[in-house]
Amino acid sequence: MENKLKRKKFKEALAGYFFISPWLFIFITFSVFSLGYAIYLSFTSYNLLKPPQWWDFEGYQRVLSDELFLKKALPNTFKYALIVVPLQTIISLILAFAMDQKLRFRRAFRTIYYLPSVTSSVVISLIFVWIFAPQGVFNQITHLTLNWLDSPATAFYVIMGMNIFTTSGTLMLIFLSGLQDISASIYEAAQIDGASAFQTFFGITIPLLKPVIFFVVTVGVIGCFQVFDQIFVMTAGGPLDSTTTITYLIYKWAFRDTTIKMGQASALAVILTLIILVITLLQRRLIEGSGSASER
Amino acid sequence: MKSLMKVLSAVFVLSMLLTACGGTAETPVVPATPVTIIETQVVEVPLEQTVVRLSGWASSPSETALLESLLYRFSVENPDILVKYEPITGDYKQVLLTGIASGTEPDVYYIDIFWWQELAKNDVLLPIDDLMTGSGVARTDFIPALLDAFTYNGITYGIPKDFNTLGMFFNKDLFDAAGLAYPTDDWTWTDLKATATALTDLTDPNKPVYGFCTAPDAGRFPAFVFQNGGTVMNADFTDTTLDSPAAIEAAEFYTSFRTEGVGAMPSDVGEGWQGTVFGKGQCAMVYEGAWLIPYLRDQFPGLKYGVVIPPAGPVGEGNLIFTVAWGISANTQNPDAAWRVVNYLTSEASQKTVLESGFALPSRISLQSSDYLANNPNSAAIFNGALNGAQPFFWGAFGSDVNDQMGKALERVFKENQPVADAMQQAATALRNLMK
Amino acid sequence: MTAQTHSKLRPTVRKNLLQELARLKTPIFYAILIFWAILCLAPLYFTLVYSLKPIANAYTPPILWPAPFTLDNYKTILQTFDLFPTWVWNSTLIAVVVTLCRVMFCAMAGYAFARIEFPFKKFLFNALLISMMMPGVVTLIPSFLIIGPGFIKNGIQIGALTIPTGFHLIDKLGGVILPGVVDAFGVFMMTQFYKSFPKELEEAAVMDGCGRWRTFIRIVLPVSQTQLLTLGLLTFQGMWNNFMWPMLVLRSPELFTLPIGLQWFKNEYYTLISTVLAGSLFNTLPILILFFVFQKYFIRSIATTGSKEG
Repeated sequence: MENKLKRKKFKEALAGYFFISPWLFIFITFSVFSLGYAIYLSFTSYNLLKPPQWWDFEGYQRVLSDELFLKKALPNTFKYALIVVPLQTIISLILAFAMDQKLRFRRAFRTIYYLPSVTSSVVISLIFVWIFAPQGVFNQITHLTLNWLDSPATAFYVIMGMNIFTTSGTLMLIFLSGLQDISASIYEAAQIDGASAFQTFFGITIPLLKPVIFFVVTVGVIGCFQVFDQIFVMTAGGPLDSTTTITYLIYKWAFRDTTIKMGQASALAVILTLIILVITLLQRRLIEGSGSASER
Repeated sequence: MKSLMKVLSAVFVLSMLLTACGGTAETPVVPATPVTIIETQVVEVPLEQTVVRLSGWASSPSETALLESLLYRFSVENPDILVKYEPITGDYKQVLLTGIASGTEPDVYYIDIFWWQELAKNDVLLPIDDLMTGSGVARTDFIPALLDAFTYNGITYGIPKDFNTLGMFFNKDLFDAAGLAYPTDDWTWTDLKATATALTDLTDPNKPVYGFCTAPDAGRFPAFVFQNGGTVMNADFTDTTLDSPAAIEAAEFYTSFRTEGVGAMPSDVGEGWQGTVFGKGQCAMVYEGAWLIPYLRDQFPGLKYGVVIPPAGPVGEGNLIFTVAWGISANTQNPDAAWRVVNYLTSEASQKTVLESGFALPSRISLQSSDYLANNPNSAAIFNGALNGAQPFFWGAFGSDVNDQMGKALERVFKENQPVADAMQQAATALRNLMK
Repeated sequence: MTAQTHSKLRPTVRKNLLQELARLKTPIFYAILIFWAILCLAPLYFTLVYSLKPIANAYTPPILWPAPFTLDNYKTILQTFDLFPTWVWNSTLIAVVVTLCRVMFCAMAGYAFARIEFPFKKFLFNALLISMMMPGVVTLIPSFLIIGPGFIKNGIQIGALTIPTGFHLIDKLGGVILPGVVDAFGVFMMTQFYKSFPKELEEAAVMDGCGRWRTFIRIVLPVSQTQLLTLGLLTFQGMWNNFMWPMLVLRSPELFTLPIGLQWFKNEYYTLISTVLAGSLFNTLPILILFFVFQKYFIRSIATTGSKEG
């Protein structure tokens, strides 16, 4: 009996490893090596041109005493994530819920809502640079004369708005396919009990959607803390550093500066990874409860 | 050696020149819109060819086609070498550095004056002095300032492929309307200021006309510092001189145009760069390089303009040199073949083609007296800029930070009304902190 | 007495209000939907309008229709490069191969993480999450080394045997495809989907004596087709738009993908915005068509509860 159980367990484990084998292969060859290499580089001085030189914690010390990091990149990144993540999650959840109702022109709405997500971040950023140019379409419609992307007071908010706008379509799609799993019979039962749409949403949809919400929020946090393309194309960290984020600073040190500081950039990347990790663990607690839900 | 017949063909985009019907020096000959020609030639090609990988950033499609046509001619004349052209359309420096870090960089590639010294310092580039002597290429064949810019510790590392300086573009119609005489190469700051004031016309709020464009741009402002006898960095690039009286005075002058309402940033009139502002006739005078010429030809074909050397400051002439060279990787397996490619691309014949296409100015001094420059005073003004007090656009190992701080100092003056001296002081302090 | 009337009255008042709201609900609801729809349409619509205007009119009204009208921007894009069809083909090939592989491999891994018990599962899953958190800028070079010459340039020599440390796939389409065939994002997404999936269906299959593989192929994959399509669409879109990695790996113009090729229209000094707008529409069109075609699978019908398809 025990033997049989053991054998079953062994077979399960074997099946598990078989199923993850393609991912594991790529993970080990690329991610493990890349991560290890980046961590190694964070303790070196490396300019890409000469082999890395061991540097102990010098890179970390330089990051932690860098004014651009402390005064601009760090607060900017947190500000960005704090505004963008909640808004894009809520908007896309509401959109998905609405698109899951019986609606007229549902298909058309869905396609349209997905539109902003279709183009690459580089292209949509170029389009937004053009729309928010001083003589661009936005100012023409609103009869404003603001220079949105050239003013430290507005540039960052335009980028945030664009990001919320463009990711909500993708996230809506993910929520929408998550909603598919909630069986219609549960909704029907709720309807018979006289539950309002509001009650159904908070009583049934949200709890059952928890794993997907965890996914969307985690991906959102990671995406926001790593925001780069948009800033690279739209403002290059300016005007007056008002849109410099951590990832942009990493790029600047790693490739853009005349004297390349790859080691220091890697140190900042490790710090950023730790920040994201802590936040992800915290919000996992918050969303899935104390670990039990993930074992569901 | 075995050989096989191979058909080589290439698509050319050539500028058909109108020199035949070229008029007097008064009306500059403008290269017409590019024409596409497909040329095919049958050549005997040895089976074993030496491969030379060549890379540069992809500028406009027509400039790329020009380079491809030169490479095609090279391959016809040198069948034993196969040049593999690998254009980079995105962030060039990032791709190149990734290549160098992994030992997969091309044999021949563009090196920009602004950051190439880091490559030389780290022995990534091949010294080419011996190769030059071997092929009978003398340093004196090139404009001295250009070749000097690619020399480090007395060793030459690159042959400049072309260059640009700043010229003062002026709108002839606006000058005519105001009844003012066109600028000359002998102008000074006083003339510039007085004329900018006279040309400014803000009566139409939808289309204000400013005398002079002053972008918060590190690619323009240093010319004024030089004209005022100042420098951006000290001689060995270990300290900045942005807070020296000469630099601060230059900044006072540069920013005074906008403060006095006779100058503007491009964004003030809703544009991204001053080329468009100039094309639209909203700025009577701008400092730009030869790149503005094909842009104006394509986008504002009706515009009547001229180009002169930038006005001299209190101390004299001052200008910036922007240049790119062909460098050879120290890793290359075939240094001789790589050199032959570089030598061909920078030969007088190739340089003449480049010049006549109207895209860039040649680095060979012998072309100073070419017909093309004689017939195109606009290009000539920018070419001659290199011989009149021009200094390379290069600020040492912290160049990108220097540019950054210079731009920010001007931005702070323009957008936050910071006093000029404070802004420059702040920039210098920030730089010194970075350079520690 | 008063208390009684009060308690009797209140529900009716509330009900009336609710009824009022219910009556208003639909129009308000639609108004919001339409407002958001206009917002979503606007940028692409303006892009379309201005891509049909001459370059000189890139900032001039009217904004709602293309006047003066021109097809020059599209002509420029199609005529400048004779490699254009090759780029479209390369992009398509890469996107299709990667999408097919990734959907399959991510579903497999996601299913295992959500349903199968195996040693080090938690550890591996956390490792997967962490691998998503390291910014790409610093992992670019090590990844490039692996795809290219390897960390040790000529491989590790053990006697006569040479173990290569890299795939030597630079300037080959395979170099773009290989690292993309499975990714952490997709595995994570499928894991979360399968976690919120009703267990009963597979349990029945397992009871019937189906092994894990057969259960997966026969039951799990068909039932999760919406999620697979979502992942497929996102993957296709991501690969189609991918820029940074292909730019590093692909060197020859004949191997370029569309986004790398279109980048040519961005000049060093200035950008011809109208051409760029036209180019971006070119780039966007295939994904739009794809989404429209697969639309119907995103509609939840009553029947989705069972194994029947919706």
